[in-house]
Amino acid sequence: MLEFLAAHKPGHVEWLLLSATLFAIGLYGVLTRRNAVGILISVELMLNSAALNFVVFNRFVAPAACDGQITAIFVIAVAAAEVVVGMAIFVALFRHRGTIDVNRMNTMKD
Amino acid sequence: MMHDAALTVLFYVLGAGAILCALAVVNARRLLRAALALMFVLLASAGLYLLLGAEFLAGIQVLVYVGGIVILIVFAVMLTSAADLLEDHPSPGRMLAGAVASISFLVFAGGVFARLELAAPAPGARPPADASAIGRRLLDFGSEGYVLPFELLSLLLLAAVIGGIAVARKTPPRDQPFTSGGDAPGEVDIVLPRSQRDEPEEPRA
Repeated sequence: MLEFLAAHKPGHVEWLLLSATLFAIGLYGVLTRRNAVGILISVELMLNSAALNFVVFNRFVAPAACDGQITAIFVIAVAAAEVVVGMAIFVALFRHRGTIDVNRMNTMKD
Repeated sequence: MMHDAALTVLFYVLGAGAILCALAVVNARRLLRAALALMFVLLASAGLYLLLGAEFLAGIQVLVYVGGIVILIVFAVMLTSAADLLEDHPSPGRMLAGAVASISFLVFAGGVFARLELAAPAPGARPPADASAIGRRLLDFGSEGYVLPFELLSLLLLAAVIGGIAVARKTPPRDQPFTSGGDAPGEVDIVLPRSQRDEPEEPRA
């Protein structure tokens, strides 16, 4: 049992498949959600899987360097800025139009 | 060998948990539950970062993502909760389009990964890529350093904070373009009790 588990240590294919699966699930959420906050949540899922991908390549291609981890930190910080602006836009939109249904956002002026 | 076996078990447990919670994120009818599931996905990702040897990044993930972004999303859900959108029913056509797009992406990516030949890492002594190495790299002025993006990132965060406040505050009325949103004394509309008002009391009949 222990030998079997140790022999099937996850390689780069398994790691990349995991992050690609998370990205695909986030893509599905972006395409199916109608609520703008739901779309924002799905975009967070995709950003998180992209950051995971950077760390995986850092670990398997250049373990001595830390560039992938630094890029992942940048991704996290940009995601934070994106959520702040997105939430502000949704709150203003909700106050103005009373809905954040993306199907009914068809005008940029009132 | 014990270490490798534990790594395998942890990878599959955390990965399966992350995928199940991610499915809950995109399928939950209530957005608050989706935000909660997103929190679990991000925590599982922090565990995966630990497995990859990125301890500092795992800490950042818990601090910024779980502690900050998820809280912001919960606030956004609560501030914009319209009754007609609590239950989010995608139409079958939309679900089909989303499933086709994501599954075709996954098949394409899997095909690429299956024939991916990664260059073997250079042999020799490896300096650990720990938090101190990341910190030196972030503040390095040399050609390989990241000090300029790092400083630009702080500017971006500042701009996002100011922009968020400017966008989300109450829209002032048209004739009063620079109102402070009700904080200035002249704009507050408080009805004081009669004994504290400035005007003289009406004579009683």
